[in-house]
Amino acid sequence: MNPLVIAAAWLVLGLAAPVLLRRRTARLVAVVPLVGAGLTLLAARSTSTAVPLGGLSGIGGLDRAGQGMLILAGLSLALVILLQPSIDVSLGRTIGVVGAAATVVMASSDPLVTAVALTASMATLALHWIGLSPGRTTLAAGRVAGTGTAALLAASPFLPLTGFTTGDRPVVVAALLATGTAAMLAVYPLGGWAAGIIGSLKPVDVAPWMILLVPVVLLIAERFPGGVLGNGAPIFEHVLLVVGLGSAVWGGFWAVRGPGATRYGRVFMADIALCVAAVEGAAVSPAITGALIILVTHLIVAPILLRSDQAGLLWPRRVAWALLSGVPPSPTFWGRLLLLEALAAGNVGSTIAAVVAMVAIFIATVLACSTRVRVGRATGWGRAGEVAAWLLVAVGIAAGLAPQSFTGFVFGH
Amino acid sequence: MGVSAPLLSAAGVVGAVVAMMLDGRRAVALAVVFVAAGLTPTAATFGGAPGVAVLGVSAVAAVLLSWAGGVGGRALPWLSRLDPTIPAFAPADRLFGPRSSRAFGAAAAIPVASWVSFNVPIGQVTAVEGLLFPIAYTWSCGVIRLLLARTLEDLAVAVAMVSVATGTAWLLRSGTDSFPGAALACVLAPLSALLAGWLHGRSSRHARALVEHEA
Repeated sequence: MNPLVIAAAWLVLGLAAPVLLRRRTARLVAVVPLVGAGLTLLAARSTSTAVPLGGLSGIGGLDRAGQGMLILAGLSLALVILLQPSIDVSLGRTIGVVGAAATVVMASSDPLVTAVALTASMATLALHWIGLSPGRTTLAAGRVAGTGTAALLAASPFLPLTGFTTGDRPVVVAALLATGTAAMLAVYPLGGWAAGIIGSLKPVDVAPWMILLVPVVLLIAERFPGGVLGNGAPIFEHVLLVVGLGSAVWGGFWAVRGPGATRYGRVFMADIALCVAAVEGAAVSPAITGALIILVTHLIVAPILLRSDQAGLLWPRRVAWALLSGVPPSPTFWGRLLLLEALAAGNVGSTIAAVVAMVAIFIATVLACSTRVRVGRATGWGRAGEVAAWLLVAVGIAAGLAPQSFTGFVFGH
Repeated sequence: MGVSAPLLSAAGVVGAVVAMMLDGRRAVALAVVFVAAGLTPTAATFGGAPGVAVLGVSAVAAVLLSWAGGVGGRALPWLSRLDPTIPAFAPADRLFGPRSSRAFGAAAAIPVASWVSFNVPIGQVTAVEGLLFPIAYTWSCGVIRLLLARTLEDLAVAVAMVSVATGTAWLLRSGTDSFPGAALACVLAPLSALLAGWLHGRSSRHARALVEHEA
C-alpha cells in the first residue's frame, strides 16, 4: 500500500472522528491511530532509506525502520487514549493530521515535501493547543516550532548539495536544518516551548507531538549527516551536540526540581535531548541503537505515565518509572550506556555533561517512584486498564532483558 | 536587456514591508497579495509566465479561500471563541508596540538578506548569486513576524510570507522540478488564508450570538 493512501486514511479518520463521536463514545478516537498503525503494516516496503536531502521526487514506500516506528507510535498513542480518564473528541482531528504528516515525512526523500508536512502538523498542533489554553506558552509553541518548519522550508530550494559541497551554501543549509531539527524537537531553547506546553495542558493533548512527531523527526534527523552536507556537516553535528547536551542537563535539573505533574515530560525531553546530542554529535553505531532503545522505552511507558498521578495505576506507574531510571535491567540502562559510549568517543566535556543529565534523570525517577499521592480508583477502563498497564510494564521488562533483539524486531536493525 | 537587481530588490522590499505592517481580519489574504506582487518581477525574470502564474494563482486563491473560509465559518453550526485577531496574551507595558517591533525587525532583516544574497548561490544546474535579496528579505521578515507573533493572525501571515518566499526561491533554482516545487511551497499561503478566514467566521458568529443574547 502506498504511504500516501495510509496518510489519507489517517487524515479522513481524524477529520471524521470529531464529527461522528460524542462525549460517551469519545474513547473511540483511539481507532484513528489503531487503523493508522494497522495500515502501516501493509505499507509498500522501500529498500532505500528516506533521507530528505534530495530533489522533488515521488513517494514510493516506507523503509523498515520508518515502518516499525510508525506502527509502534500508532499503537502507543491508541493506548494513551484508551487509558485516559476522559477524552476530548477534537483531539481526533489533531491526531489525524499529525499521523498523516508523520507517514509522509517517513516516506519522503524530498526536503520540500517533508517541510510542508511538518509545517501542517505543527500548525495543527499549535492551533489545538492555543484553542485549549490561549496564552504565552501555547503561542510560543507556534512561534518556535513554526520557526523550525520555516527553516526547513528555506533549506529546501538549496538542496541537493551535490556539486556545491564547499563554500557558504552547505553551511547555511546545515544551519537551517539544525535550527529546524532543534526547534521541532524542543531542544532549543533548552526545551522552552515544550516545557510550557507540558505545564499548561493535559498530557493527552501533548501526546501527538511526543509520540508521533518527535520519534519521526529524530529518526529523520539522524540520517542528515549521512547524506551530502559537504562542509556543513560539522556545523549540523556540533550545533545539535551543544544544544542537545545543554537541554539534557536543563531538562534533568527541572525534572528533579519541577512539579510532579510535569516530571514525565521533563524526563522525556531530557532523554530526547541526550539522543539528539549523541546521534548527531557522535554519529557512531552505538548512539543510534541507544537512541532507538530509549525511544522504544518511552513509547511503551508513555500510556501509563501520560496520566495524572491521581488517576490510579499506582504500582504500574512505579514500575514504569523504574524502567526509565537507568538501573539494570531496565531498557534505559542499555540505551543510556550506548549513548554514553558514543559520546565518550568524542570528548570528555560531552561525557561529563551527559553523566550529569543521566544522574538528574535517575534522581527524578526515584522521586517519582517514592512520591506518595492520594490515588483514586482506576478510572477509564477500570480493571481492564490496570491489566493493560501491567502488560505494557511486562513488555518494558522484556525490552530491558533483550534490548537489541527488541529494537531489531521493531526497527529491523 | 539585463536584469535590474535593485529594481527587483525594491519591489520585494516594498511587498514584504507592507505585509509586515498589516493587521486585521483580511491581513493574511492581503499579505499574500502584496508579497506575491513584490516577488512577481523576480518570478517573471527567472520563471517567465509560468512563474508569474504560480504567484498569481497563489494570491487569487488566498483571497478566494479567505472569503470562502469566512462564509463557511459563519454558515456551519460549530462555534469557536478563538478570535485570531485577539492577542493570546497581554504583554507588559513597553515603550514600543508590536508594529514598532516589526518595523525594527524589517530594518534588521536588510543586512541578513544582503549577506545571503551575495554569499549563498542558489540553483540546481547553474548557480545564481546576488539576486536572492528580495526572497531572503521576505523570508526573514516572515520569520521575524513569526517570532514577534501575539495573535493567530500574526502566525498565519508569517506562514504565508515564508511560503511565497520559498516558492519564488524554487523558481530561481531552475531545473525540471522548479515549477512543481514552487507550486507546492506556495500552497501553504492560501491554506493559511483559509484557516484565518474560517476562524474569523466562527468567532464572529459566536460574537453575534453573544450580542443578541445580551440584547
